Amino acid sequence: MRCRRAQRWMVAAVDGELAPRRRRMLEDHVGSCPVCRRDLAGTGEVLERVAGLATQCEVPSRLEQATLRRVQLLAAAEEERSAARGWWAGLRAPALALATAAVAIVAVALTRGAGDRQPITSRALDQHRVAAQAPAREKPRMIASSERRAPKAAENLPVEPPPELAAAPDLFIELPILRNMEKLEHFEAIGTTTLDDGGEQSNG
Amino acid sequence: MRPDPAQPAAPPQALPEAGSVPAAAAADPDVALMLRLQAGDEAAFQDLFRKFSPRVLQFARRFVGSDAQAEELAQDVFVQVFRFRHRYRPQSRFSTWLFTIATNLCLNEVRRPERHLRVDIWERRDGEERAEGPPLPDPSAVTPEQGAAARQLERRLEVLVAELPPKQRAALLLSRMDGLAYRDVAEALGSTEGAVKALLFRATQTLKRALREYL
Repeated sequence: MRCRRAQRWMVAAVDGELAPRRRRMLEDHVGSCPVCRRDLAGTGEVLERVAGLATQCEVPSRLEQATLRRVQLLAAAEEERSAARGWWAGLRAPALALATAAVAIVAVALTRGAGDRQPITSRALDQHRVAAQAPAREKPRMIASSERRAPKAAENLPVEPPPELAAAPDLFIELPILRNMEKLEHFEAIGTTTLDDGGEQSNG
Repeated sequence: MRPDPAQPAAPPQALPEAGSVPAAAAADPDVALMLRLQAGDEAAFQDLFRKFSPRVLQFARRFVGSDAQAEELAQDVFVQVFRFRHRYRPQSRFSTWLFTIATNLCLNEVRRPERHLRVDIWERRDGEERAEGPPLPDPSAVTPEQGAAARQLERRLEVLVAELPPKQRAALLLSRMDGLAYRDVAEALGSTEGAVKALLFRATQTLKRALREYL
């Protein structure tokens, strides 16, 4: 046996993890090789010293508290997840049944609709031709929201201004508040803007 | 098999089914605690924490060399134990499973690319007391000089162990700790018994060379 191989087996021999046959071979070699004998003794001492190092230390209470807190949070999250899973599992079967029923209803409705349709006759074709020759109806157009609201506002407004205002329209137009209507639309502007021309500040 | 540093360490999934508990494992109080935890008894987790946290914390400290990081790692180890409690199978010892998680997390930590700075807690600074615990008892030290020499050797050894390559360090610490057999160390490292023997041989050679003057 060579010294190099003997050295490789020494740690396992010290730890009792060497197969019996190899152990015997190593013992034979060490018995006749003073260098390996010293090496084996050194290996044993080093491993003994390492094993003698402290394997435990004091655990600060904050570590225990922090760990237990994290574990409690984890347990709570797990419970929540399992509860949610149970709720969904309970709901899944009725939801599936409802979806199936809806599909069935739609399918039946489509089938019956197709059955009720009349065959195309020459009269129907004539009606279609007449309709095509009629002047094209005005296309529906998008109605602006202001336009949609307009009739309602118009209903509330009097057709004619009151006689006193009709006689002196300047009184109405020159109201300072009307010149500042745009500013009133912005809430922030109300607090910081002078509304009138007289240099007086608004109180908000 | 190298654990992927980018992935969170996941404990190994034992192959046999949970239903069958071997007689030896059933008699193991740690296995019994773990089975209680699996059954939903959270008090069992506290018992496991109190029993194993001193060893896990010390293992992490020797591995990462920083108290703060070691505490974070120890916390993560026990959170993983709780999270993956249903994966534990009583075919292996609880401590093997626990140190598998601890080893994976520690290896991930030391292999993180952003880990540039390393504070070595094993090098005592001037006027600073060790927070680790009682010093190694040395029955052979009969005089103060011999006692001082033994403590110096111990400190040197701690530094050398902390400087070993991560896998060698893991193999050495696991094999000395809690009497883990090579088979258990191999399981924890995700390798073979032969690989563990090779790691231990290299680690021991390094220590022997460095400690020549002390031995």
